[in-house]
Amino acid sequence: MTNRYVYGVMTDEPVEFETDAVGGADRVYTVSHRRLSAVVSTIDTTDPEETDADAQRHDDVLREIMDRDGGRTIVPMQFGMAFESDRALKNVLRGAKPAFRRAINDIEGRIELGLKLVREEDADVDVDAVEKAVADELNPIAAQSVPNDLFSDRLVLNRSYLVDRDDRERFDEAIARFEDEHDDLIVRYTGPFAPYSFVDVKIGAQR
Amino acid sequence: MFILDDLLFRPFVGIVDTLHTMALSEIYDIDALEDELKENQLLYELGERPETEYQRRKDELEDELEIARDVHERLTSGRVEVKS
Repeated sequence: MTNRYVYGVMTDEPVEFETDAVGGADRVYTVSHRRLSAVVSTIDTTDPEETDADAQRHDDVLREIMDRDGGRTIVPMQFGMAFESDRALKNVLRGAKPAFRRAINDIEGRIELGLKLVREEDADVDVDAVEKAVADELNPIAAQSVPNDLFSDRLVLNRSYLVDRDDRERFDEAIARFEDEHDDLIVRYTGPFAPYSFVDVKIGAQR
Repeated sequence: MFILDDLLFRPFVGIVDTLHTMALSEIYDIDALEDELKENQLLYELGERPETEYQRRKDELEDELEIARDVHERLTSGRVEVKS
């Protein structure tokens, strides 16, 4: 058990706490290179299988860190990044330092929120009008937004929003207003998540 | 004779091979299966699909997806042999 499973990377103070971690570990801590710290736990493989339970643990660890000290910033990794040693991981932190810095700059003090609008089963919905109404309400508040897959015929809109923590309440209110005005749509409003959709740092696992 | 056979046969194998690959890609459509998995999850979360049906469908789709990924991996690595 010397491999390191990585949840995300941050520049804040190192952390260490006990929790249900990915792959059966019970402790999360940091491996640092200069001011960059990777949040990790030990794991017995460099190619972890993505089970529902472990995907949930990965998210929970990120959420726990985001909720610390009144709101920390962490660049989230996708599920499945594991390194065979501290040295391999530190090399990656060193190599990707500019990319991590940029990512931290983009997401500092911000959270990700998800919005899915689902058409009621028999409803006939004007997609363009809905898109415009959503943009009018939410774009002025959100820092950024990205579209996601419309994976079902019932989905009218599926977007992720990057929102300042300080604007969270205004964003909630805007969603509530929109929901009140649209009876033919089911609103699925989810989060906050670590801002996966707004960082593009991928680090290669050392096999 | 051998050369003639070979020349006659080659274009034929090429087409069959391509059609076969296309057919397999369509049957084992990874994107479609992934979409259906997500839709299944969504309908469950909305309370429109009962838990037993959701779980049964999820297991089914995950099995199909595993097979589909396996087939695609073989197709792209050229390990699927076309017998004609």
